[in-house]
Amino acid sequence: MKKNVFTLLAALSVLAMILAACAKPTPETVVVTQVVTEREEVPVEVTRQVEVEVPVEATPEPVEIVLWTKEGEADGGLQYVQSLADAYTAIHPNVTFEIVNKDVETLREDFLTAGLAGSMPDLLWTVNDHAGPFTDAGLIMPVDDLFDLSQYVDAALAAAQLNGQTWGVPISNGNHLMLLYNKDLIETPPMDTDELVQMGQDLTTGDQYGLVYNQTEPFWLVPWLGGFGGAVFAEDGKTPTLNTQPMIDALQFLYDIKYTTPIVPAECDYDAADTLFKEGKAAMIINGDWSLGGYKDALGDKLGVARIPQVVGHEWPHPYTSGVYLMLPISLEGAKLEAVVDFVNFVTSANNQALMIAKLNRLPALKAALDDPLIANDPILKGSADQMVVGTPMPTVSEMRCNWDAMKPEMQAVLAGDKSPEDAAAAMQEAAETCIANLD
Amino acid sequence: MKFLTPDVIWNSLREVGSTVLFIIAGTVLLEVLAYFLWSPLGVFSQAVDQLLKPLGDRVRSLLAGLAVVAAVVLVVAMVSPGQEPSPLAPYWPVAAVLFLIGLFISPSATVIFGWRLRLPYMLLMPALVGLLLLVVYPLLWELNVSFTNLNPRHFKSPDFIGLKNYVEVFTKPVLKQVMFFPVFLRTILWTVINVVFHVSGGMALALLLNRKMRLRGLYRTLLIFPWAIPQPIACLAWRGEFHYEYGFVNIMLQRVGLEPIQWMSNPTWNFVAMCITNIWLGIPFMMVIILGGLQSIAGEYYEAAEIDGASAWQQFRHVTLPLLRPVLTPAVILGTVWTFTNFNVPFFINQNELETSDTLVTALFRSAFQYFNLGDAAAFAFVIFAILLAFSIVYIRVTGGLKGATE
Repeated sequence: MKKNVFTLLAALSVLAMILAACAKPTPETVVVTQVVTEREEVPVEVTRQVEVEVPVEATPEPVEIVLWTKEGEADGGLQYVQSLADAYTAIHPNVTFEIVNKDVETLREDFLTAGLAGSMPDLLWTVNDHAGPFTDAGLIMPVDDLFDLSQYVDAALAAAQLNGQTWGVPISNGNHLMLLYNKDLIETPPMDTDELVQMGQDLTTGDQYGLVYNQTEPFWLVPWLGGFGGAVFAEDGKTPTLNTQPMIDALQFLYDIKYTTPIVPAECDYDAADTLFKEGKAAMIINGDWSLGGYKDALGDKLGVARIPQVVGHEWPHPYTSGVYLMLPISLEGAKLEAVVDFVNFVTSANNQALMIAKLNRLPALKAALDDPLIANDPILKGSADQMVVGTPMPTVSEMRCNWDAMKPEMQAVLAGDKSPEDAAAAMQEAAETCIANLD
Repeated sequence: MKFLTPDVIWNSLREVGSTVLFIIAGTVLLEVLAYFLWSPLGVFSQAVDQLLKPLGDRVRSLLAGLAVVAAVVLVVAMVSPGQEPSPLAPYWPVAAVLFLIGLFISPSATVIFGWRLRLPYMLLMPALVGLLLLVVYPLLWELNVSFTNLNPRHFKSPDFIGLKNYVEVFTKPVLKQVMFFPVFLRTILWTVINVVFHVSGGMALALLLNRKMRLRGLYRTLLIFPWAIPQPIACLAWRGEFHYEYGFVNIMLQRVGLEPIQWMSNPTWNFVAMCITNIWLGIPFMMVIILGGLQSIAGEYYEAAEIDGASAWQQFRHVTLPLLRPVLTPAVILGTVWTFTNFNVPFFINQNELETSDTLVTALFRSAFQYFNLGDAAAFAFVIFAILLAFSIVYIRVTGGLKGATE
């Protein structure tokens, strides 16, 4: 009996091994495909030598590029990315794409996790400040030697530069907040904060609001901080300066337009603001250039674009400017790297930049595309460009991450009426300092 | 876009099939190895046993324990938390030898490698290897990480910083501002509130359903629904209902003339929203368990109580409750552990990421995967592990939950 059991086990194991060996592709196959790639990619003189080894077979090695993008579906960005990928596949049938949409924050978190696990996507389509943590972790490669960067707008490049190298290829220039208004409700946009409050109060009735904006993210707080004359970092670009009078003033202002002279909803995140504005239940919204395409579709000619109103007695608010960038994970090599580089050049080609201006209403990063007549003639793009003049480049250093994380809960606490602006500013500074001390 | 061509199907089948076959082959190989190695190992352990007899069992156990601990420490040190391999990695045979020495000098070696336990060990071997790879190794890796400063700035070669992370769990904010003990206390509060409502709500519904009435089956089905919906989906649906502008709850509040509530940004109300969602989610489970318990109580008890003139309350207090205890105790314990470690509800309802709504597990998640302070988070995780371990030990002691298994 024992013997029988053993025989059965042995037979099973042998069978399993045979089947497993059949199932795995043999080593020879792998070699052949590699040689074929080389034939496709290497300069001509080597090709002849390779041809001796490999008979016929002219199809290039299939490459699948996994692209993570922060572009969402609601404003048409994801569809635009997908259309570019489809167009590229039409020209190069061997290159296929898997486009994955992730929220900006999720993209950062997931990419770091993927880096730790060692299975990264092949291309990132994201915002500039991700370059900070990603270079800290050594997960993306510098692009200086891979592309001709001189063809891009300097301001867009500057926002992706760190430690003397460039970490992303700019697709668009801007990513800045601006004031968008519904011409049905407002004829001329407010020029300063007094006018804003005045008009806002007149327009806030029943289920209609004067102004909506995302009250949960400090990205909507920093323009006002700049408007009151402050900045998140000292001169050195990495010491947080959050416990300052301008910060207290900015928080007080946001508190006032919610409680003292209410012109905004009591609770409003990005989606709620977006919906209210699209439904015509909000006269004004503060939102970024990424949303222009969607609003143009929803409101048509009724959409107006202006600067965020000047702070009375102070400056124009300074929204952060950067852009959208393509970043290359460090793991890329060989045929995949070449395909990715070629695709990046394709995305930022003059034709596709013109397409982006038309479809998404974003300002291009390619110098050659700046002359596009669309920009000069389109009132929306003109307004967007006008807002950019008073913008300030968003810091790329990873200390900025600490500032965002420190500002977020305090901004929310002030807007919930839980904390005074003074206490919140002090708590922000403390949290940012703790976080930065923890970075090392 | 990928299409489901026969080629793609075949390739996927091949990949899955080959993986399964490799697992089967590995298992078979292990079994065969164990089968054949057990006798020589048994002989060897007998010889070692004869040799070491003079030392006495106590000394041998102590030495064996030391050797095994040394092997584990060495393995922990060898597991590199970064991307570069640890310099100690080539010394893995030392750890293996230490472990084997520990195993064989232990006085139980002759029992382990005895003829009688050959088949049981043979059958346990695949599970043992699986647990080593999937549970023990990650745990050791985690332990190692908790002694380092692994974070984005030290991603590839983190430094050893000793117990600093453990000290900082208690002395520094675990998230941005909130310290460990407030989160801990909030988690306890959250657990108590939820379990109390789960049990009382479940009990009330079970008592209502445990009598003859029309459409009883229909009511039971409807009431069990929340339990059948996947938690994240239920949470996201509830989050929508707590929306300030468009949510059902605020619309109803306004209809009855009350002020709408800021469910997402007000810390207290956000916590209340979490509790409402979780109570709704948890009642059906308790109801089902208690209903099962109620149906197993024989009707004679109630008849006897009635004859003795007991009121409804007295019947409940002196018949139902005591007879429900065997069902209720494990259900309450389970409910406590599940609520304590519930991730979905506190995470999804807390859309604005208020630190005042975080419980221990969501705080741990944020610390690790949103702020990427992986070293700190690993230490934090072991602290939470210690808390749950203490709870489990106390519970097992009190209820004798493992008696059947160990005696």
